[in-house]
Amino acid sequence: MEPATRNISPFLDPGPGTKANSLAILQLSRDNLQPVYLQPATGKHDGYAEGAVVNTRYGSFPHSTMLNVPWGSQIRASKVDTGSRGRKRKREGVDDACRDATGATEKDNEDSAALANDDSATAVKQAVADTSGFIHVLPPTPELWTTSLPHRTQVVYTPDYSYILHRIRARPGSTLIEAGAGSGSFTHASVRAVYNGYPAEGQRKGKVFSFEFHEQRYHKMKEELSDHGLDRLVQLSHRDVYNGGFLVDGKSPEADAVFLDLPAPWEALHHLSRRKPQTLPANSNGAATANQQTEWVSPLNPKKSTHLCTFSPCIEQVTRTVSAMRRLGWVDIDVVEIANRKLHTSRERVGLNLNFDRGVNNSPRDVEEALTRLAEIETRFREHAAKPGDGDEGMDLSDEDATPAAKNKAAGNGSQAPSTEDTSSGTAPWMEGRLITRGEPEIKTHTSYLVFAVLPMEWTEEDEAAAAAKYPIGKEQQVIGAIDKAVRKKERREQLQKQLQQSGNRKSRRKERDAKMAEASG
Amino acid sequence: MHSVIRPNAWVALKLPSGSTKVLQIIPNTTISLGKYGAFPSNLVIGRPYHLTFELEDKLPDENFSRIRVVTTNELYAEVFADEAAPGCDTPAAGANDAVISATDGEEFRLVDDKGNVIARSNHEVIDDNARQTLTQDEIEELKREGNNAGKDVIAKLLLSHTALDQKTSFSLAKYKLLKTKKYIRRFQVLPIDVATFAHWQLEERDSSKIMDMRAEMIGLVGCWGNVHFGGDEVLLPDPNASTDQGDEACLPVDESLLRGRWLVVDDTCGLLVAAMAERMGVLYEAEEVEGETEEQNGTATERTPASTENPNETQPNAPAPPEPTAQQGGDTEMLDVLTKAEKRQSDGKPKQQKPRPSDFAIPYSQTNSITVIHGASQPNLSLLNYWGFDITSPNHPPHPLLNHLLNLTWLQLLKPELDTSYSTPPLTASPETLASWKPSRRGNFHRKRRRYARIRHIVDSTRAGNFSGLVCASTMDPISILRHALPLLAGGAPVAIYAPTVESLAAVSDCFSVPRRTAWVSGSVPEIEGLSNEELERWQGNEQFPLNPTLLQGVSIQTSRARRWQVLPGRTHPLMTERGGADGYVLTAWRAKPAEGKVAAKGKFKRRKVESEAGTPA
Ligand SMILES: C[S@@+](CC[C@H](N)C(=O)[O-])C[C@H]1O[C@@H](n2cnc3c(N)ncnc32)[C@H](O)[C@@H]1O
Repeated sequence: MEPATRNISPFLDPGPGTKANSLAILQLSRDNLQPVYLQPATGKHDGYAEGAVVNTRYGSFPHSTMLNVPWGSQIRASKVDTGSRGRKRKREGVDDACRDATGATEKDNEDSAALANDDSATAVKQAVADTSGFIHVLPPTPELWTTSLPHRTQVVYTPDYSYILHRIRARPGSTLIEAGAGSGSFTHASVRAVYNGYPAEGQRKGKVFSFEFHEQRYHKMKEELSDHGLDRLVQLSHRDVYNGGFLVDGKSPEADAVFLDLPAPWEALHHLSRRKPQTLPANSNGAATANQQTEWVSPLNPKKSTHLCTFSPCIEQVTRTVSAMRRLGWVDIDVVEIANRKLHTSRERVGLNLNFDRGVNNSPRDVEEALTRLAEIETRFREHAAKPGDGDEGMDLSDEDATPAAKNKAAGNGSQAPSTEDTSSGTAPWMEGRLITRGEPEIKTHTSYLVFAVLPMEWTEEDEAAAAAKYPIGKEQQVIGAIDKAVRKKERREQLQKQLQQSGNRKSRRKERDAKMAEASG
Repeated sequence: MHSVIRPNAWVALKLPSGSTKVLQIIPNTTISLGKYGAFPSNLVIGRPYHLTFELEDKLPDENFSRIRVVTTNELYAEVFADEAAPGCDTPAAGANDAVISATDGEEFRLVDDKGNVIARSNHEVIDDNARQTLTQDEIEELKREGNNAGKDVIAKLLLSHTALDQKTSFSLAKYKLLKTKKYIRRFQVLPIDVATFAHWQLEERDSSKIMDMRAEMIGLVGCWGNVHFGGDEVLLPDPNASTDQGDEACLPVDESLLRGRWLVVDDTCGLLVAAMAERMGVLYEAEEVEGETEEQNGTATERTPASTENPNETQPNAPAPPEPTAQQGGDTEMLDVLTKAEKRQSDGKPKQQKPRPSDFAIPYSQTNSITVIHGASQPNLSLLNYWGFDITSPNHPPHPLLNHLLNLTWLQLLKPELDTSYSTPPLTASPETLASWKPSRRGNFHRKRRRYARIRHIVDSTRAGNFSGLVCASTMDPISILRHALPLLAGGAPVAIYAPTVESLAAVSDCFSVPRRTAWVSGSVPEIEGLSNEELERWQGNEQFPLNPTLLQGVSIQTSRARRWQVLPGRTHPLMTERGGADGYVLTAWRAKPAEGKVAAKGKFKRRKVESEAGTPA
């Protein structure tokens, strides 16, 4: 591989397989994902002879078994000696030797320290496969990261960010402003959206300008971005954007799109103008004003409309935001909330002749099945009554009703030949029953309100005069758009004719092709 | 991209009625908005997108309207007035020291014949005396006069509505809003990007054409498919084969160069491909920076479609439909423009004019590409015409999709030997023979050789697999698509399948159910005994196991729906009605690389709670 591609973030081009010291996402089970930086086995690690190990309830997985394998690989658990290690585990179930992210954030420094030592010269023990247990190792994507990242704040999830990025036209080459960075969920998704290559010196490429005023979060994010190879694509600033605005080193990011996930977006909005707002909102003060007195610079791209989205959980926040947007000249204001649901599929298995399995409802599948069984019971009841006995038939009956196993037996030795065949022919359990979908037991009914708006580029009288001179009017000949009936009729006639011609063409082309086929096969 | 309105740009005109018109802004024409009036196209060319324009009253000696930009103060005057009104419980942020003060919007006052203000906004009850009834003729008359841009009509209509004062302030506002939308002669020009276009196609055109795909679904499919810029363009060197060389001189596929490629099955007439191309940065032509390339007489930047005789046609007919005469040397011209396209794409600096590529040169980028597999002999990607790309055009002007969009039929993919164009070896001829031919025959000869080399490259590189993702929106059974597409995906590659309804996706999900997977890996499926992993990857399916259930991980289905809100002072609530129809569903998963041999899951965990507390099993 040429050096140019070597530093590409695994989020943007993961390459064919896992690499040392690069992020991978372990899928333990369906919704249980764990990020891990795979380390080359250089010796005993944290007491493990195999080097760094990820311990899960699905078994133990030495990094060495997950390194340099194709992405998506199923990894078998290894037999790892967990008992005889010198050191006591700090946490259960998670490997804290790797800089995994699911755990508490404060521990991270400690963890990375642990990673550095222990590289004694002792030979690495070859991992031995366990008899059971496996996981899959997946390449990092914003979607996987969002569900597995260490939460430092509320985050924006895929159903919201996928819609937002589409609506704010974040595309390869766009410049996007984001505040606050929080846990970086939106950051990862947005950098993928605007990425169109790493910039060469002085080159302008798609980029995210991110802002976060919480110091610890800022530092953690900074570290993550560089671990993920994204630091040249995301410029993170430690800043209170309400007061400090969005310029970076006094210069305009020239943003095409903006996403604000802040408690009070309206306090940041006035910075996102085309020119200095006439009056500043009451709550904006101090430092910013001093800066603005010199020369006000807009953080927006002056050559394009800017698309904006704010993300607020409460409707009161929305009202204030929308009101501020209107006063600042934003148009096409649109407020939506996204309701996302996951659906699970399963087999709904109802019937008297089904295996007595978990999830099977051993009651009659339909009226016919109920009838057959009832009739059967009646018959046996009569047979029983005909016999001389002590007459506790009532018991008998209720027994039949109570135990499905008995029902099966009854059906088995009874008159139901076809269904017996059914069971013996062994309809596989995964083929039985009706396929159904249903929602999850708990759903997110509200995340936040999304407020979209557009700020057109500035248009002065001089601009208008220049455009008017460049595109003078008075030479109009045709009319496009809505026209009166007579003209439309004529148009339609012509169109029809054209279509006829085209279909003629098509026919002749098809003929040509047929002929060719015949020639080829002959 | 989309800074100002370019000559010949396809745009969406948003009208006050809420409806959208999609048309091409052809210079020196008159754009008619029907009953709202008409204006010269040159009045919007070179102007920014998203501004609100208003048709002005016709000057006495002109038969068209001029337009003016409506400021947002005017646009929002009514809202500002409401916010300023006493008793408004949702005051604006800093409403008192408003950045911009509301102007006196006369249109928001109801006036009687003598110009006396009767009612302002929705706070006052309308005077009984003001009730009068306008006849339809009178309304028409007013509209014809078009005085004051329709505002008079609104005021008068409001007054003529006898039941007005019986309505609550809420419904009054609604009533007025409707009237406002109908008669105010304002419009906005929006660029035709995927979001705008899809919305228009869904809400106002034919939603079935795009399989009811909503914005929510376009976003989800794009993200879960991990569709993004897949690397700088990489072109293969020209093999410079001479005309007497055949197949052996074609370039072999170099698998190490193939990166950032997505596999697509699209039955949305190209909307899905457009959405992906937008995410990959290959949908829009690079826009020249204003001033750098001076446009000739104000017309040239966006390509003029070949046929403009039909300007009212909303369906774009650009570029030229294939004509019989274009056949000769048609592809030669195509190659010429391809060369130009390359030239333009690299940092904009003019390069040395390259020599014409040889017949076997491959124009397709090895990276950042979209490969469309289609069921008919030609792909239906007609909607790409709105972005200036016509897949059927043999001599296409420059467009980024030319080198980044590959297409092949299912036959070419699965049984290439049955495909004539793939399996017929290329013609060869010595230079002398060639020189003796008529130009038309020569042209044909080159065209066939070029086509052969390209099809061969597309088929061979697609069959080489290692795709970065699979994205589908198809009317075909997704199980059948997966059967053939899964082996082509790189390990860990995402799959995202859209469907308007859930049933077909549920069936896919069922193929990967836990019982199926367990049976498969535990060795209780006799049919797969002794098959290698490679053979299992290409498992052709049977009734019990339509797909190899271990080839996908994390199969899940979701649906999303955006609910719109109206936000107005004192009247904030979700919209009362929205478009119905299909909500849409997306199935997502990742391509797994199963381990060889039997694999057993670890332990049985009864309940989730217990599970998460259990930690490391002993
Ligand atoms: C809800 S979180 C953002 C989550 C983020 N969008 C994600 O997807 O991970 C909000 C963040 O904004 C930051 N924040 C709040 N006010 C801010 C301000 N005035 N300037 C900069 N950041 C701010 C907070 O520290 C917090 O981390």
